[in-house]
Amino acid sequence: MTANEQHTGGCLCGAIRYRVAGPPLRVGLCHCGQCRRQTGSALPSFVTWSRKALEITKGQPAGFRVSDVATRQFCRDCGSPLFWRADKGEDITVLLGGLDDAEAMPKPSYELWTERRMHWVPEFPGIKSYRQEPGRG
Amino acid sequence: MAAMREHTGGCLCGAIRFRARGEPTKTNICYCTQCRRQTGSPMASFVTFAVTGFELLSGSALSYRASDFATRQFCGRCGSALFWRRDGSEELDIFLGSLDRPEEMPMPQKQIWTRHRIAWVPAQPEIPPFKEGS
Repeated sequence: MTANEQHTGGCLCGAIRYRVAGPPLRVGLCHCGQCRRQTGSALPSFVTWSRKALEITKGQPAGFRVSDVATRQFCRDCGSPLFWRADKGEDITVLLGGLDDAEAMPKPSYELWTERRMHWVPEFPGIKSYRQEPGRG
Repeated sequence: MAAMREHTGGCLCGAIRFRARGEPTKTNICYCTQCRRQTGSPMASFVTFAVTGFELLSGSALSYRASDFATRQFCGRCGSALFWRRDGSEELDIFLGSLDRPEEMPMPQKQIWTRHRIAWVPAQPEIPPFKEGS
């Protein structure tokens, strides 16, 4: 890790590209039904940075609001989900799979909504586990 | 003879809804980098149905071709990943997460492109692995 650490990413078709500066604050998993629907995946995974670390370098993501707390941003040309942007707070949550160096991201430290985990999806021993979200179970 | 089962699904915003009849002919996990980008996730999962048993009930999916042999479809309003179809195939791969009751689907029969699996994703040795596609 260096003072100049940065990570790049984008969607499948390349219409949207971004850069984030510095090491991520945390990596987590979410088993909630909304994340599962949007990603189509049984293992949605997220990397969080400070919002000011993110710069969109190409294109403009579309947004969709499924809850009243956040906007889900994606590429309108290929559908790739890119960011979960909360209305409040200083963070930006980046979908792990959009990062060019996704395999270099640290192991997740927490998982949300484990009560909705698919029966065959493996558990991640040793990480902080919430049946729903912090403060809800 | 028992009535054929029906499985319904759709995107996050509800603009696109579909129904698949019968049981999936195949189920898998895919770790390829294209699926990783489209799902934003380290692991994509599919259930495969015959196109003859598949019906779009509402909406119209957008398409994107990331390779020269298949089309990926998604909802243009909410970005949800929906289908992958090989050109000319009589089958359609449905992204597991788009189903209303994905927990009713059988567990994956195989894992493909394991050479792209991210190191911290558990290997699940009970599901036959293939380093590339199969």
